[in-house]
Amino acid sequence: MTDTKNAPGMKEYIAIWVGLLCIVGIETFLTTMHISTHRLLAALLVLAFVEAGIALLFFMHLKYERPRLFWTLVPLVIFVLFMMNHIWPDAYRMLNMRVPIQ
Amino acid sequence: MSESEMTLGAGQATAFEPSPYGVQSKKLTMWLFIASDAVTFGAILFGYAYLRAGTPDWPTPFQFSPSIVNGLIMTLVLLTSSLTMLAAVAAAKQGSKSSALLWISATIVLGIIFATLHLREWFHMFAEGWSLSKNPLGGTVMFGATFFSITGLHLMHVISGVIALIVIAIGYNTEWLDAGHVETTGLYWHFVDLVWMFVFPLLYLMNVAR
Repeated sequence: MTDTKNAPGMKEYIAIWVGLLCIVGIETFLTTMHISTHRLLAALLVLAFVEAGIALLFFMHLKYERPRLFWTLVPLVIFVLFMMNHIWPDAYRMLNMRVPIQ
Repeated sequence: MSESEMTLGAGQATAFEPSPYGVQSKKLTMWLFIASDAVTFGAILFGYAYLRAGTPDWPTPFQFSPSIVNGLIMTLVLLTSSLTMLAAVAAAKQGSKSSALLWISATIVLGIIFATLHLREWFHMFAEGWSLSKNPLGGTVMFGATFFSITGLHLMHVISGVIALIVIAIGYNTEWLDAGHVETTGLYWHFVDLVWMFVFPLLYLMNVAR
C-alpha cells in the first residue's frame, strides 16, 4: 500500500508546484540567452528530466510506494530510452551526406 | 492434485496472491500502461530529434509572443490541473466526496482550457499556412509533420484524460467507483503533464526564432 503517513500534504504539493513553475521559467529564460543550440538542448533536457523526476516521485507518489515498484518500472524505461540513442550516427550521416540544397 | 486444484480447494481468499508491489491491480495496470506510453512518446520525440538533427534547413518560426507566451500559459494550466488532481485524490482518500468531486471538476475545466488554447494555436498556425505537409517559410515540411503529430498525440491524451475524469466523477458520485479509481486516473493525468514537460521545451523552446 502507499505509505500515506509520510506522503506530502497540500502545502508541500503547492511548494513543489511553485518549484516546477520556476524550472519552466528557467527553461524559458535560457531560450532568450544567446547560447549554442547544443548547449540549450542539453540544458533543457536536464531540466525536463528534473521536472519529470519530481512529478514522478511526488505527484505520482512513486517515492511512497514499495521500492520494488520503482525498480521494476524506472530502470526499464530508462534502458529503452537509452537504447534509442543508437539513431544519432544515422542522423548526422543523413545531414553530412545529403545532396546539397541548390 | 494439480496446483490450481489445491489453490481453489483452499478457498477463494487464497486463490489470489497478494500483489508483490502492494498496490491494487488497477493501479499496477495503470503504471504499466504509463511505462509503455512513456517509451512511445520517447520514441516519437527521438524521431523528431533525429529528423531535426539530420535537416539543415529546419525552421524556427516561434516568436516569444504569442507562441511561447501561449505555451507558458498552457504549461501553467496543465501544472495547476495536476495540483487540483492531487487535491481530488487527497479528498477522495479522506472520504470527502463533495470536495473530491469539486477538485475533479476543476481538473476537467483546466484540461478543457488547455485543449482550447492548444487548438486555438493550431488554427492560428493553419491560417499562417502551416500543416502536416506545408511550410510557409519555404524550408522542410518535416517541421509541420513532427510538430502537429507530437502535439496532436499529446492533445489526444489530454482529451482522453478529460473524458476519463468525467466518467470517474460520475462513477465516484454514484458510488459505482471508489477512491482507488480516482487515484488511478490521477496517475494518468500526472503522466500527461509529465509528457508536456518534455514536449514544451523540445518542440516550442528549441524552435524559437533567433
